[in-house]
Amino acid sequence: MTAISRSWSRLTLPGKVIFTALPLLAVLTVGLVVAVALLGGLLVDLAAANLEVVRFLVAATAILVMTIPTAFLIIYMEMKIIAQMNLRIGPDRVGPAGSALSVVHGLKVLMKEDFTPTGADPIVFTWAPVVTYLAAVMTLLVIPFAPGFFGQDLNLALLYFFAIGGLSVVGLLMAGWASYNKYSLLGGLRAAAQVVSYEIPLTLSVVGLILLAGTMSLNTIVTNQSGWFTSWYIFRQPLGALIFMIAAAAEANRTPFDLTEADSEIVAGFATEYSGMRFGFFFFAEYVNVFIVSALAVTLFFGGWNAPFPWPWPIDVSQLDPGSLGIGLLFAFLVIPPLLTLAFAAPLWVASSRIKGWQALLGGFALANLFLIAILAAIAYAGIDWVAGLLWFLGKSYVFVFVFVWLRGTLPRVRVDQLMDFAWKWLLPAALLNLFVTAAAIVITT
Amino acid sequence: MSLVPGLGIARGMALTLHRFFEPKVTIKYPEVRLDVPHKFRGRLQLLYDEYGTLKCETCFQCAQACPIECIDMGGMDTRGRYHVHWGAPETYGERREESALRRSGRPVPDPAYLRFAAVDIARVDAVLEEYDHDPARMLEILDATQAAYGYLPVAALKRISHRTGAPYAMIYGAASYYAHLRFEPAEATEQAAAVLAHRPAEASYLAAFDAALEGRA
Repeated sequence: MTAISRSWSRLTLPGKVIFTALPLLAVLTVGLVVAVALLGGLLVDLAAANLEVVRFLVAATAILVMTIPTAFLIIYMEMKIIAQMNLRIGPDRVGPAGSALSVVHGLKVLMKEDFTPTGADPIVFTWAPVVTYLAAVMTLLVIPFAPGFFGQDLNLALLYFFAIGGLSVVGLLMAGWASYNKYSLLGGLRAAAQVVSYEIPLTLSVVGLILLAGTMSLNTIVTNQSGWFTSWYIFRQPLGALIFMIAAAAEANRTPFDLTEADSEIVAGFATEYSGMRFGFFFFAEYVNVFIVSALAVTLFFGGWNAPFPWPWPIDVSQLDPGSLGIGLLFAFLVIPPLLTLAFAAPLWVASSRIKGWQALLGGFALANLFLIAILAAIAYAGIDWVAGLLWFLGKSYVFVFVFVWLRGTLPRVRVDQLMDFAWKWLLPAALLNLFVTAAAIVITT
Repeated sequence: MSLVPGLGIARGMALTLHRFFEPKVTIKYPEVRLDVPHKFRGRLQLLYDEYGTLKCETCFQCAQACPIECIDMGGMDTRGRYHVHWGAPETYGERREESALRRSGRPVPDPAYLRFAAVDIARVDAVLEEYDHDPARMLEILDATQAAYGYLPVAALKRISHRTGAPYAMIYGAASYYAHLRFEPAEATEQAAAVLAHRPAEASYLAAFDAALEGRA
């Protein structure tokens, strides 16, 4: 008894917790295994019967998880690219070429004190970043990433996108209102004024495209643009695309329209009283918005996941059946890697007498691996349509992310009156003109 | 041209894209240090403390460390009594023409130096000859020099420095360390001793005072 109590007293607090939790964990694991064994078939049947619910859950989880590395990547791109444009090196300490710096930033934000000011409305104050972040994330549900890779193919997808995207204004206003700080309130009102003003030209700029496409389903809009790149909507709606890009920059609070939290001038606007991870959510939402806006621009005007040219040699993966080789497959697994290694090592061996035999073999092994990976990637690209689609979609999207960062590295900030003037006196008439011209063209040609 | 809308934006974007591919100017300081150019000389500057007095104590350490011997300086020693120098004679600030120094913006020499009379160098040369110009026997040289002159004249110390190759600051430091070496003629100290001797015997006065207070304190 004394030995047990002495051992127990020598455990640290985490040790005590783990010691207590381990048997519980074992019981739970056994229970889970038993439950799967007994109810597994039933659960699979249930999931199959409610496939839409399962799809929604999987898509929502995947998109929520996807936003985090996306935001990290875009924050890193922003730091690095703007540094290069300023003739600096930029982050280069954490990770390869400093690429883990945004992760470290995220950890730093996590460790900061989560502060609520006296007099603030705690419920609204806490939910404001959640609303802003979810408004950004939920719009991703309707964006088609690749053939078959989308949360839901709504026939009102574009309307849903703008409606949910407009919810972020509510989050900004909540943040400004609940902070119990007149500067936060002013910042929130200014942010709301900007976002609401630019939502009108943003929405009107795509109405012409909707008339052309005859649908609001983003999936259908993308499939309409398949084939050569000349069928992209940018060539039929150039003015609409220009207005969309300008208004989208304002909608995502990017330079030259980043007055909502002009970090070099004012104290973060509506986010003045926020700290820790609550501020982190606003920050994340901003960068997720950049990706979303780029993705929507690609989807609407630049062919989405379509390659700019039809792939001339389609391979039907279903025709490739490695199993038909039988025992030959095993033989190939044994023979091909050493042969490839030798084949790639030979030129290295011949190239220079200073390369030793084992070095040539090592290099040949690495090259052979690269070669096999390249062949597999090429087969996947040519044969599996969603691999090619995802690559093209992400590639195009990040080109536009680069353009937004590039704009930030170039342009100064506009004044608040210039901002409003530009939205109401130039963008709105231009969007209306685009809509009427498109409508007239459709009426004349049909 | 400037009336074309968006042209400025396009030119700015072209500029930043061009910058994006240009070589970067950042130097990763602790790992990478710029080479100091061969002809770099820097700028010499005397610093003042918060009371506005010069921080320089005329210790000559900067002049000793200077690899190209470009520093020449002169000033009073730390006790404010003797004029001390560093540098080749022709570069002494004090030897330069005053108007030329004023024009060049350099400090004008201290007229106090003028009271140092020239001394007979032959005697210190004889001493140096006797001790083989050996800086390791500096204390003997200084003793002999004091015996020859009665004290250690600045000019003699400069001569010892030039002939033996020992830095002047080291000779000065050694000479000022030993109590029996002096930098002024013995008359000055003898006069002080004579004044002290003429004063009423303080010890007997104090003894008498104590006796008067006896039994009352």
